[in-house]
Amino acid sequence: MMARGLGGFALVFAVLAALAVWREDLGLPIFYLVLASTALFWIAQATSWNVLSGYSGYFSFGQGAFVGVGAYTTAVLGGRHGVDFYLTVPVAAVFSALLALLVGALAFRLRSFRGEIFALLTLAVPFILAALARVNSEIDGGQGVIVPVAEYPDWLAQFQDFLYLLNLVVAVAAVAAAFAIQHTRFGWALASIRDAEDVAEGLGVATFRYKMLAIAVTGLIGGAAGSLFALQIGFVTVESVFGLTIPLFVIVMSVLGGRTHWVGPVLGAVVIVLIQDRLSASGFEGWNLIVLGAILAVLVVVAPDGLQARLWRRPWQAAVALVAVTGVLAVVDSWGGPLDWFVAGVLAAVAVVLWPGRARAPVAAERRPAAAPVAPEEAAGAVPVAADAEPGEVLVECRDVAKYFGGVRALDGVSLRIRAGELVGLVGPNGSGKTTLVNLLSGALRPTSGSIAVAGRDIVGLAPHRIAHVGVSRTHQIPKPFESMTVRDNVAMAIMFGRSPRPLAGAREEAEACLDVVHLRHLADAKPAEINLHERQLLEMARAIATKPKVLLLDEALAGLNPAEIDAAVAVVRRIHATGITIVIVEHLLRVVNQLATRVVVLNQGALLADGDPRTVMNDPDVIRAYLGRHAHARGT
Amino acid sequence: MTTLQAALSGALVGGMFAVMAAGLSLTWGMLRVINLAHFGLILVGAYLTFELATSWGLDPILTIVVTVPLMFLVGAGLQWAFDRLGVEGFASLLVSFGLLIIVMQTVSNVWSADFQRMEGDVNPYATGSVSIGRFVFPAPTLIAFVFAVVIVVAADQVLRRTFAGRALRAFAEDRAVASAFGIDHRRLGMVLAGLSAASAAVAGMLFALGNAVTPSTPFEWIGIVFAVVILGGIGQVGGVLLAGVLVGTLSAVVSATWSPALSPLVLFSAIILALLFRPHGLLTPASRGAR
Amino acid sequence: MRTRSLTALSATAALTLFITAACADDEPEAEPSPGAAESPAGDTGAPSGDPIVVGSTLSLTGAFGPTGIIHQIAGEQFVEQLNESGGLLGRPVEWMVLDDESDQAQVTALYERLIGQEGVDLIIGPYATPNIISAMAVAERHGFTMPQHTAVLAPLMTYECQFPAWSIGPEPNEYVPEQVFDALESLPTPPERVAFVINQGGSTDFIAQGSPDDDGDAGAVPIAEERGYEVVAEIRYPPDTTDWAPIAAQIRDADPDFVFNSGLAVDPVNLLQAMEQLDYRPPLMFSLFPAPGPLLGLGDVADGLLSVSIFEPNDALIQQAGPEAQAIVDEFEARATAEGLPYTAFETQATASWNAWEILVAAVEGAGDTDQQAMCDYLHENGADTTFSGHLDFNPDDNNFWPSNQGLKQIQDGDWVMVWPADRAAAQLQPPVG
Repeated sequence: MMARGLGGFALVFAVLAALAVWREDLGLPIFYLVLASTALFWIAQATSWNVLSGYSGYFSFGQGAFVGVGAYTTAVLGGRHGVDFYLTVPVAAVFSALLALLVGALAFRLRSFRGEIFALLTLAVPFILAALARVNSEIDGGQGVIVPVAEYPDWLAQFQDFLYLLNLVVAVAAVAAAFAIQHTRFGWALASIRDAEDVAEGLGVATFRYKMLAIAVTGLIGGAAGSLFALQIGFVTVESVFGLTIPLFVIVMSVLGGRTHWVGPVLGAVVIVLIQDRLSASGFEGWNLIVLGAILAVLVVVAPDGLQARLWRRPWQAAVALVAVTGVLAVVDSWGGPLDWFVAGVLAAVAVVLWPGRARAPVAAERRPAAAPVAPEEAAGAVPVAADAEPGEVLVECRDVAKYFGGVRALDGVSLRIRAGELVGLVGPNGSGKTTLVNLLSGALRPTSGSIAVAGRDIVGLAPHRIAHVGVSRTHQIPKPFESMTVRDNVAMAIMFGRSPRPLAGAREEAEACLDVVHLRHLADAKPAEINLHERQLLEMARAIATKPKVLLLDEALAGLNPAEIDAAVAVVRRIHATGITIVIVEHLLRVVNQLATRVVVLNQGALLADGDPRTVMNDPDVIRAYLGRHAHARGT
Repeated sequence: MTTLQAALSGALVGGMFAVMAAGLSLTWGMLRVINLAHFGLILVGAYLTFELATSWGLDPILTIVVTVPLMFLVGAGLQWAFDRLGVEGFASLLVSFGLLIIVMQTVSNVWSADFQRMEGDVNPYATGSVSIGRFVFPAPTLIAFVFAVVIVVAADQVLRRTFAGRALRAFAEDRAVASAFGIDHRRLGMVLAGLSAASAAVAGMLFALGNAVTPSTPFEWIGIVFAVVILGGIGQVGGVLLAGVLVGTLSAVVSATWSPALSPLVLFSAIILALLFRPHGLLTPASRGAR
Repeated sequence: MRTRSLTALSATAALTLFITAACADDEPEAEPSPGAAESPAGDTGAPSGDPIVVGSTLSLTGAFGPTGIIHQIAGEQFVEQLNESGGLLGRPVEWMVLDDESDQAQVTALYERLIGQEGVDLIIGPYATPNIISAMAVAERHGFTMPQHTAVLAPLMTYECQFPAWSIGPEPNEYVPEQVFDALESLPTPPERVAFVINQGGSTDFIAQGSPDDDGDAGAVPIAEERGYEVVAEIRYPPDTTDWAPIAAQIRDADPDFVFNSGLAVDPVNLLQAMEQLDYRPPLMFSLFPAPGPLLGLGDVADGLLSVSIFEPNDALIQQAGPEAQAIVDEFEARATAEGLPYTAFETQATASWNAWEILVAAVEGAGDTDQQAMCDYLHENGADTTFSGHLDFNPDDNNFWPSNQGLKQIQDGDWVMVWPADRAAAQLQPPVG
C-alpha cells in the first residue's frame, strides 16, 4: 500500500515534470504552468497546515508565520548576503521548523491547548514576527528585499518552467509526506489525538512527541514553500508575507477539501485556485470576491466534512461530469477558452459530488450481525471465578497520597496496596475521591504529595503513556471512543502503541481476540457512533485490555446500563480477571461490587475508611453510616 | 505624566475594542458561532453612520437610532439561517468568512475603495476632548468607553438576572438539558445574534467617529479583537471589557515609554503569556475549565 | 478500490485538462477581451484595425484599493481620449485591467497571464511599490517595457526597461528632506526643533532613515542633524497603529517647531486629530505620502500642513501645463465624482498615472510598433514628453529616474496648493501658526 502509494507519487511527479521539460514540444501555453505553480504553492501550504491542524485537530491561524520565515530567509540570505538560492531553501525550511517547534513546545508542553486557544496562540505569532522584522531593520534593510532570480538549468525554456518545477517538487514531497503520515502509525497517532487526546495518551500514545513531530513537519513544508513564494513575488516586505490572507486561504482550502485525508487539501486548493483565476479573468469587476465568498459559504454549508469524503462516494459520477461538461463545451466551442471549459467541468463535478441525493444512511440493522450466543453460566455470573486466585506480590503501592485542588482536599494521606490477581472494588459516596485516585493511578493527575509505585516502579511524574507502558490501563465513565475509527481499529490503536509496538496489520488481528473477550467481534467494522452505550462501554474495556495491562482501572464501567446489560458486563469483567489482569473497579452498585470483588476499599472525604473482605467491610458500621446512610437513602427515591 | 495620559487614552481605546468584541464573544460562547461576518457588520455600521451623518445631516451618534434596529434584523436573520443550516463551530468561521468578503466587496462597490471620513462640520466629536485637571479624555474614545461600559453592564445584567439570560447560559452549558426544560433556543439565539449585531452597529458608529474607513479596514481589527475576546474568556462580556482595557492600556504605555514600534511586539507576547497561564480568560483561573 | 478510483479520477482530470489545453493553439482568443475599455466610435480619424491591448493589474480591492481606484479612473480616461484622437499607430487601444486584490502573489500570476495567455501587446505597471517590483520581475523575464506610476525607491528599480512616471530623483531619501528644509529655511523665522514621526513601512522608513547598510546614504533624520536642527523626538510606529494618543502626547511634550511625518495615507489625519484632542497643534507639519482628501476633511486643524506633490490642479499650474490640462482635470473630476470618490482632484497620483500612459504612447509611437526592445531603446535615447511633468529623460545609470521636479504643496484655506519651488508655486509658503 505504502510502497505503491509512494510509487504513484513518483509517477505523478514524473508526468507533471515532463510538462515543464517538454512544454514547448507539447505546445502547452506557459500560462497553464503559471496557474499550476499557484495551485502547487497552495497545495503545499494547505497540506502543510493539514498535517498539524487537520490530522491532529489543532487548528492553527499561524501559517503566515511559516511562510513568512521561509520567504524572509530566502530573500534576506539570497538578496542581501549573496547566498545561493538552492542553499536557502533547506535553511528556510529548517528555520521555519525550529520556529514551529518553539511554538509547539510552548503550546503543547504547558497544557494541551485545543480549539480557539491554540488558534489564537498561533495567530499572535506572525504579528510578533512582523514586529520583530520591523524593529530590526538591519534584517531586511528597512525597505524590503529584492529576491535575486536563481540560476536555472538551460534545458528549461523559461523562469516560469523553473518555478513550476520547484513548486512541483515541494508540493509532491508535501503531499507524499502527508500520504505517508496518514498511512503509518504517525497518522494513527494524530487521528487518535484529534478524536480523544487524553484517551490516546492513556493507551500509550506519546501525544506530545507526535504533536511536536506534526508541527515540525508543518513548519518544514511551510518554510520550504514560503521560500519559493519569495522567488515568485520577487520582492519581500513584512506586509507581503506576515498577513492574514495566507492563513485564511489555507484554512478555507483544507476545510473545503476535507481535513482528515491527504487528498482534501489538494482538492480544496485546486478548486479555489481555479475559481479565483477564472473569476479574476472574467471581468466581473467588483463581483469577483462576492462570487468567491458566496461559493465558499455555500460549499461549507452543503459539505461541512469537505469534498474528499463526498467524492469517494461518487467518484465515477464526478469523473463523468468532468469529462462530459468539459467535452461538450469544447465541442460546441461557443463560449470561453479551454481553461473555462475545464473549470466548468470541475464545477460540474463538484456539483455532482455535492448533490444531496439519497443519503446512504448506515442502516444499523444491516451492519449488525447478531451477537454470538453467550454461554449461560457466563451470563448468569453466579460462579465466583476469581476467588480462587491467590493474591500475589504487591503490584500497586500508594503511600500517603494526597491531592489538593486549590483548597479542596480531594485525597488526603491515602495508603493502599494492591496485589497481583486481586479484583478490588473501590467504593465511596460522591466526592469521596474515587475518580481522583483513578486519575492519579493512570497519571492523568499528579499527586500533591506521596508516592505511587506500579510493579515496583515509581510512576509519579511519568507521562500517562509511560504509565500505560508500565502496565496501567483504564476505562472512562463516559466512553470516549475514537469516533473516526472502526471498533476494531479502536482496539488496534491500543495494541499498536502498547508496550511492545505492533504494526497495523498485526494489531488488527490481535484486536479481534480482545473483541472476543468482550463479545464485540460482530461489531468490529462498525463506527462507534453506530453502537449503543453498553457496547461503547465494552469497547472501552476491550481497548483497555488491548494494552496488556498489569492492572486495569474500571471507572464506573457499568453506569447507565439496564440489569441485563449489567449481568453481561459483570461476566466480561470476570473473564478479563480470569486472564490474570488485576482489576480495580469503581462502582456505585454495591450488588455488583459484592458479586465481583475479592476485596473492597472504601473512601470517604478523601481518606481511607475501610479495606478488606467484601462481607466484613459492608457490615462495618462506619461504612454504613458514611456510605450507605446517604447513598442507600438516595437510591431509595 | 505622559505615561499616565497614554495609559488613560489607551484604556479608552480599549473600550472601543471591547464594544467590537462583545457581540463576537457572546455568539461564540452562547451559540458556538464564530462569526467573522461580525466585522463586516461593524464595517457596514461605520459606513451607514458616515452616510447618514453626511447626507442626512444626522448627528453621528444619533445614527444608531437607524442602524441598531437595522442591524438587529440582519443579525437575527443571519442566525436564523445559520441555525436552519446547522452552521456552527469552525464551519461558521468559514461561512462567515465568505460573508465577510462579500460584505467588504459590496461596501467597496457602493462607497468606492477610497477612504471615507466624516468631515469636521458633521462630526464635531473627532477632534473634541474633555479635560479633567491635567488629564485629557479624547471625545471619540471617551464616548466609545461609555458605550462599552453601558453595553457590557447591560449584557451582564441581562444574562444574570433575566429568565432569557439564564436560559441562554443554561443552553451554552448543556444544550440537551436546556432543551429538555423547554427553552426555545431558536428564538433566544436569534435575539442574541440580533443584539450582537446591534452592538456591531454601535461599534461601527464609534469607529467612524474617530477614524477614516476603507472596505479593507476589517482586517486591521481581526487580530486585536480576537485577542480581546479570548483574553476576556469566550462568552464572558465582563471579561471583554477588562481585556479590552488591558490591551489598550498596555499597548499605549509601551508606545509612550518605549516606542510605538515595540507595542505590537509586547502586546502579542503578553497575549501569548496570558493564554499560556490563563487560557480560559483573565477572569477564569487556569485550573477551572481545564479538561 | 479507493486508490484505484483516485488514480482513475486524477488521470481523467489530467487528460481532460491536457486535451483542452492543447486545443488552445488551434483557437486564438476571438471574443472581446474582458475588462477592456470600450472602444468609442470616434468621429474624427477613428482608429481601425486590430486593437492594441495594454495589460495591467491594479489594486482595486484590499489595502491599496483607495489609491488603486484613482489609477483606474485616470487610465480609463486616458485610453478613451487616446482612441478619440485616433488611437495608437492608427489602431484602437484596449486596456485589460485585472484586480490584483493588493496581493503580490496575484500580481505576478496575473502579469504572467496577461503576457503569456492573453497575449497583450503592451503592459503598464500596477499600483503600490511592492506590487510594482513584483510586476517588474515578470516584465524583465519577458523583456517587456514597463512604465510604472508610483514606485519612487530608485535603488530598488533595477530593471532597465521600467520607466518611472513619478520621480524623486535617484536618491529620494536626500531629495525630499533637502527640499523640505530648503523651503523651511526660506521662512522669516525657520524652525529649529524637529520631531520625526516615522511609519515603519518600506518607502517611508527609507526616506526618513536612509539605508541602514550605508552610512553615506542618509535620510531625513541624519540630514536634519547635519543641517543643525535639534531633533527633539524620533518616533517610529508600525503601519497598523490604532492608538495615536501616546504618539501625540510624546510630540506635544517634545515641543517641536516642526513635525516631519514620514507617513502614509491617513497617518497624518489620525496624528493631527489625536494632537487636537490633547489641545495641541504643532506650529508646522509635513507629511510624506498622505491621502489628500481626508486631510481636507479635518478643516482648519490641517491648515498649513505640507506634503510632496508633482502636480496640483491650481490655476497657475494648469496654465503652465498647457491648453489640454484644464479639460483633463475637469474630465477626471467628473469621472471621479461619478465613481463616488470622496476626493476628486487630479493631483499627484492621477498625474503619475497620466505620465505613465504618455510614456507608453511615446515609446510605441517612437518605435513605430510594439516591439518591446525598440520601445525601451527609444525611451532611453529620446525620453518622453508629458503634459504635466514636461520632457523626461531616462538615464539607465539612475535606474531611469529622471531629475525630479517634485515640489511641496500646502493646505491653505481648505485646499491643496503648490508652494515650492518658487517657479512652480501657485501661492506663497505660509509660515508656522502662532
